[in-house]
Amino acid sequence: MIEGGRLQTAGRKAAAGGARRPAPARRPAATAAVPAPDETVAPANEPARPLVALKHKHLLGMDGLTADEITLILDTARSFVEVSTRSIKKVPTLRGRTIVNFFMEPSTRTRSSFEIAEKRLSADTLNFSPFQSSVVKGESLLDTARNLEAMAPDMIVIRHKASGAPHFLARHCRSNIVNAGDGWHEHPTQALLDAFTIRERKGRLKGLRVAIIGDLMHSRVLRSNIFLLKTVGADVVVCGPPTLTPVELPRLGVGVTYRIDEAVEGADVIMMLRIQRERQQGGAFPSTREYYNLFGLTAERARRARPDVIIMHPGPMNRGVEIDSAVADGPYSVILEQVTNGVAVRMAVLYLLAGGTLGELAD
Amino acid sequence: MASLLIKGGRVIDPATKTDAVMDLLIVDGRIAERRVPEKGRGAAPDGRVIDATGHWVCPGLVDMHVHLREPGQEHKESIESGTRAAAAGGFTSVACMPNTDPWNDGLSVTEYIVAEARRKGMVNVFPIGCVSKGGLGVELAEIGDMVRSGAVAVSDDGRPVGNSHLLRMALEYTKIFGIPLIDHCEDANLSASGVMNEGFVSTVLGLKGIPGASEEVAVATDLAVAAMTGGRLHVAHISTRGSLEKVRRARQEGVAVTCEATPHHLVLTDQSVADSRYDPNTKMNPPLRSEEDRQALLQGLLDGTIDAIASDHAPHHADEKLVEYDEAPFGIIGLETTVPLIVDRCVRKGGLAPARFVELLSRNPARILGIKKGTLAVGADADVTIIDPELERMVDVSQFKSKSRNSPFHGWTLRGWPVATVVGGRVVHELQPVASR
Repeated sequence: MIEGGRLQTAGRKAAAGGARRPAPARRPAATAAVPAPDETVAPANEPARPLVALKHKHLLGMDGLTADEITLILDTARSFVEVSTRSIKKVPTLRGRTIVNFFMEPSTRTRSSFEIAEKRLSADTLNFSPFQSSVVKGESLLDTARNLEAMAPDMIVIRHKASGAPHFLARHCRSNIVNAGDGWHEHPTQALLDAFTIRERKGRLKGLRVAIIGDLMHSRVLRSNIFLLKTVGADVVVCGPPTLTPVELPRLGVGVTYRIDEAVEGADVIMMLRIQRERQQGGAFPSTREYYNLFGLTAERARRARPDVIIMHPGPMNRGVEIDSAVADGPYSVILEQVTNGVAVRMAVLYLLAGGTLGELAD
Repeated sequence: MASLLIKGGRVIDPATKTDAVMDLLIVDGRIAERRVPEKGRGAAPDGRVIDATGHWVCPGLVDMHVHLREPGQEHKESIESGTRAAAAGGFTSVACMPNTDPWNDGLSVTEYIVAEARRKGMVNVFPIGCVSKGGLGVELAEIGDMVRSGAVAVSDDGRPVGNSHLLRMALEYTKIFGIPLIDHCEDANLSASGVMNEGFVSTVLGLKGIPGASEEVAVATDLAVAAMTGGRLHVAHISTRGSLEKVRRARQEGVAVTCEATPHHLVLTDQSVADSRYDPNTKMNPPLRSEEDRQALLQGLLDGTIDAIASDHAPHHADEKLVEYDEAPFGIIGLETTVPLIVDRCVRKGGLAPARFVELLSRNPARILGIKKGTLAVGADADVTIIDPELERMVDVSQFKSKSRNSPFHGWTLRGWPVATVVGGRVVHELQPVASR
């Protein structure tokens, strides 16, 4: 859920402004700017203008985000893809801004992706993790956050093992908070980069059949993807062992099956979720061998999907547990594209939360 | 001769089948006389007068499940501050759980609590002793010693008496003293590290759930052992429809079982965790349950399955709650919000009769604990709670007498507040000065 403000619709001038690069000259306001009157009240007989800005302070999750907001973020990300293809991969968009990457759980992909996104936006970044901090000395999350804030950062990107930790910071901190994964709850930028990758490949999201397979119980990637995909009108079917499937999942509007063949049947997209080895010790399944036999994605099983299926994984993968290497490295796999797109999507999120508009980016 | 006249109130005393406007004369700490009010009749010989016109005059309320945190955790609460909170909340007696530091598992801690309550307590304090030594669930504590020192029940509180054999021993052994065993019914394996009710909301929020079955299997076990032993079982803070049905059925079969419900389980559901965006003041054990469970509890209040309302007052220091949801300790305070919550939500809006309210909050808990409280009969201890059922106020934790502030009800506007609390004939709390000479 993005919170802290209302939506802003496009001003014509902003939408038409042909800035070639994502480099707004004026400093975007950290808090919601007051829109000019003609931008807020659209005459009833005019068609709705496309959304060009997020008037929100935080990105805490996908739950509650509108389809227009999702489209805006994905469209903005599209504008940023090009930056990463240049020889000088940098724009001055967030110059002078300080962003803290506050990662209280191990992370390679997400932390690097945020850091690269921040650097390509010219923000000053600080990486902060418990292994090198006073957290190991018993400092509370709030005290740690307050001390970070005393150094006046503009944004805090947080990864934390406790669901709701970003909401906690949002209540007590001044900075924009970006959820980079909280407990089992949400991982909104992962869902956004997944959606971006699907849209690039399929040209749309609406009406696609997406199968999500794996540890459904403990997956923040699953929750964010369900919220996003249902909002934009995709069909979602989820599959995992009943021991790792919350019984209330159908209430989120998804199909549930315990048979991977049923889940894969006719799928446009197959999204595999990581099996966390420690779950086996919790008794959720007898062995990784049996898990692979029942739920592992093999090339043979993937043949039940549509011929143009794409296969995704948020990483890190357990080869031979949830996914066979032949699939992970095969022609349908877009797993590394996801990683590439993650940078552009995170640039878009940071840019929009800082008050940037799509209009300023439009070619 | 110290006296106090409570004039013109609606005296609600189910123990004497009374519900009428009466004057109540208190002399030397006892109810001396109850009489139909007469206009112009003067005050008691030398005493104070409380004008209770339009108010309910109830036997002093009894909260049979509170945590006073003393000895050992005085940063959360003390016997002095906790009983002050009780007085402010309209309670004249509290029974305090043994999970202090050290646990109240023997004579010395029980005696300390009784003595400290006598020195500093604003209301009557009845200690609950441990079932097992150290609350560890291994061997019986010296229950006889504790009873002799003033304990009125036994419980291992937050820890369920998970060992069925020990439970059997305890339910048999307590028959010597005729005291109830109060059990926190929970299957530790099913609850594991859960932090909220398992259901749709926990699924959306990504928090580990505590299923209703965790309580229900423990209730079922306890009821079977209670039936076998004939011991007196009291189920603390019952929270699910299934548990309630098991208690209802067991009672029909003659099992000596009683149960209590908390105001928060009667008023809130697990949706509060989402609405408050992971506010740790919505975290308690048992957790806030589903709307279906809540409705079943309300029904249980009306049909008599639930015997008592108890706050499970669980103070925690602000720092302890100002953390991630997973890390926060379970529990909220309740002494100062129980009466307005129940009067507003259950009596005014839920069809609960005022006489039943008094049973749930005074007469029944007194009977369960076997204490001579819960009545306004002539000769009884002059413990009286006066409630203004029309008074509307906002809950403001900053005004609480408790040392702690961990309440999810801050900012709620409720109608029906205690305005005066009398313990042993002494006015220990007045919302505004109501007594005049």
